[in-house]
Amino acid sequence: MLNYIWAGLIIFSLVFAMVHDLRDLSRDTYRNGEPLPVTLRFPEGYDPSARRVPVSVAIDPETYGAFYGVETRPAASYDGVLLQTRDGRQLRFARDASVPEPLATVREVTSRRDHDLRGAVGALSFRSDSLAAAAVTFPPVRFVKMNAIAAAALDFADTAVTLALGLIGTLALWMGLLRIAEKSGMLFSLVRVTQPLLRPLFPGIPKNHPAFAMIVLNLTANMLGLGNAATPLGIKAMEELQTLNPKKDTATNEMVMLLAMNTASVQIVPPVLLVAIMGLQINQLFFSILIVTFFSLLVAIGTTKALGRMKRFRETDPNRDEA
Amino acid sequence: METFRTVLDVLSVFVLPSIIVGFPLYGLLKKVPVYEEFVEGAKEGFNVAVMIIPYLVAILFAIGMFRASGALDFLIDGLRPVLGWAGIPPEVLPMMIIRPLTGSGSAAIVLDMIQQFGEDSLLVKMAATMFGSTETTFYVIAVYFGAVNVKKTRHAVPAGLTADVFAMIFAVYVVRWLFG
Repeated sequence: MLNYIWAGLIIFSLVFAMVHDLRDLSRDTYRNGEPLPVTLRFPEGYDPSARRVPVSVAIDPETYGAFYGVETRPAASYDGVLLQTRDGRQLRFARDASVPEPLATVREVTSRRDHDLRGAVGALSFRSDSLAAAAVTFPPVRFVKMNAIAAAALDFADTAVTLALGLIGTLALWMGLLRIAEKSGMLFSLVRVTQPLLRPLFPGIPKNHPAFAMIVLNLTANMLGLGNAATPLGIKAMEELQTLNPKKDTATNEMVMLLAMNTASVQIVPPVLLVAIMGLQINQLFFSILIVTFFSLLVAIGTTKALGRMKRFRETDPNRDEA
Repeated sequence: METFRTVLDVLSVFVLPSIIVGFPLYGLLKKVPVYEEFVEGAKEGFNVAVMIIPYLVAILFAIGMFRASGALDFLIDGLRPVLGWAGIPPEVLPMMIIRPLTGSGSAAIVLDMIQQFGEDSLLVKMAATMFGSTETTFYVIAVYFGAVNVKKTRHAVPAGLTADVFAMIFAVYVVRWLFG
């Protein structure tokens, strides 16, 4: 299943990126090579010999809309500089100026590092000392999405490593605490108290096995919205379940159940991140989340049990021979 | 209701400190060499983190590509009629699709919707309830199975996603019932 979803994600992103880029090309979304008429105002006057002249750029909204064929409209004016370079005059918008689409994409693609939109400026026709009409030609933009998916693949590979390494601290803390709990016999008491409740859900775990304790701790941390604590506890629970697994590269029914209960965990306290986003509003949502998660937990347990009985998944069950 | 909330809030503040202090304290009473055992256990943290790297890379880069390709817009357009039929407002659709894929991405969607519709709107309540009720399923699968080197996940993905889909649909109806 995961094989197909994974390959599907990759293949579809290529297909969609290609469709998107070909559509851009046929519609000429970015008007590659076409000059956009603008009005330049020189607050400090224009000096033809200066290398850098500060400038304020005004784009007529109607012209802009007609030129790119879009609904977005530019702001009244943008700050920038007019540069005298070897290849002619170049207009540079101020860094991070809030230009509308599709210019925002042009900037994103052509000035990835500096975030200043650049374009070549043709002849200036002065209306007064400080006001001139001009036409700006932006660098051509092609295959935006193709580049984007390649960049995203590399970016997210980095992100994955950062995420994993970022877990080291909390993982170490919890693994250490759990080891103390294990050695002090605390986990064993927890197992005895909670296993009557959990055994029907995890029939493959033998009586008095420490896996029960880890599962309870993991689910409790999840319920209380303690995401940082829940992950190490869940990993520890998985490790305990792995010791019972005769086929180490394949998930047992118990592992799938633990995972499903995690993704659909009852939330008595909403996750920390959501509390941070919603502020005081969370007080109202607390009840709706509780109801929804209660039902979705039932669905998760039901689905996992039902799928586990399907022929396809029964055949791959690592415990099949013993059952 | 309000007092119940306060009790829960206070309780959740005390859970972590009491575990972090309580475990070693109990160990000490049971004459466990707590410091040595802690260090011994903590060593494992590093190995686990390194172990999940390949799994996370595999899942996250595929998801990142998919998001960057603009495929979501196509998907959202395609699913709109189905949603209308089920009584789900199309505005929450991006949330439903992104939620199992990335946590930070779906948090950004909630923030974006607050800007767009206002904190008090039904749509934001639906999206936030969806966010609170489900998990980043693919991330959890990568981390949990990665940590024990399980590659064949069997029915984990369909089971997790079914629960997610139901939770999202429940969220729409429950929010409408409670606030609508």
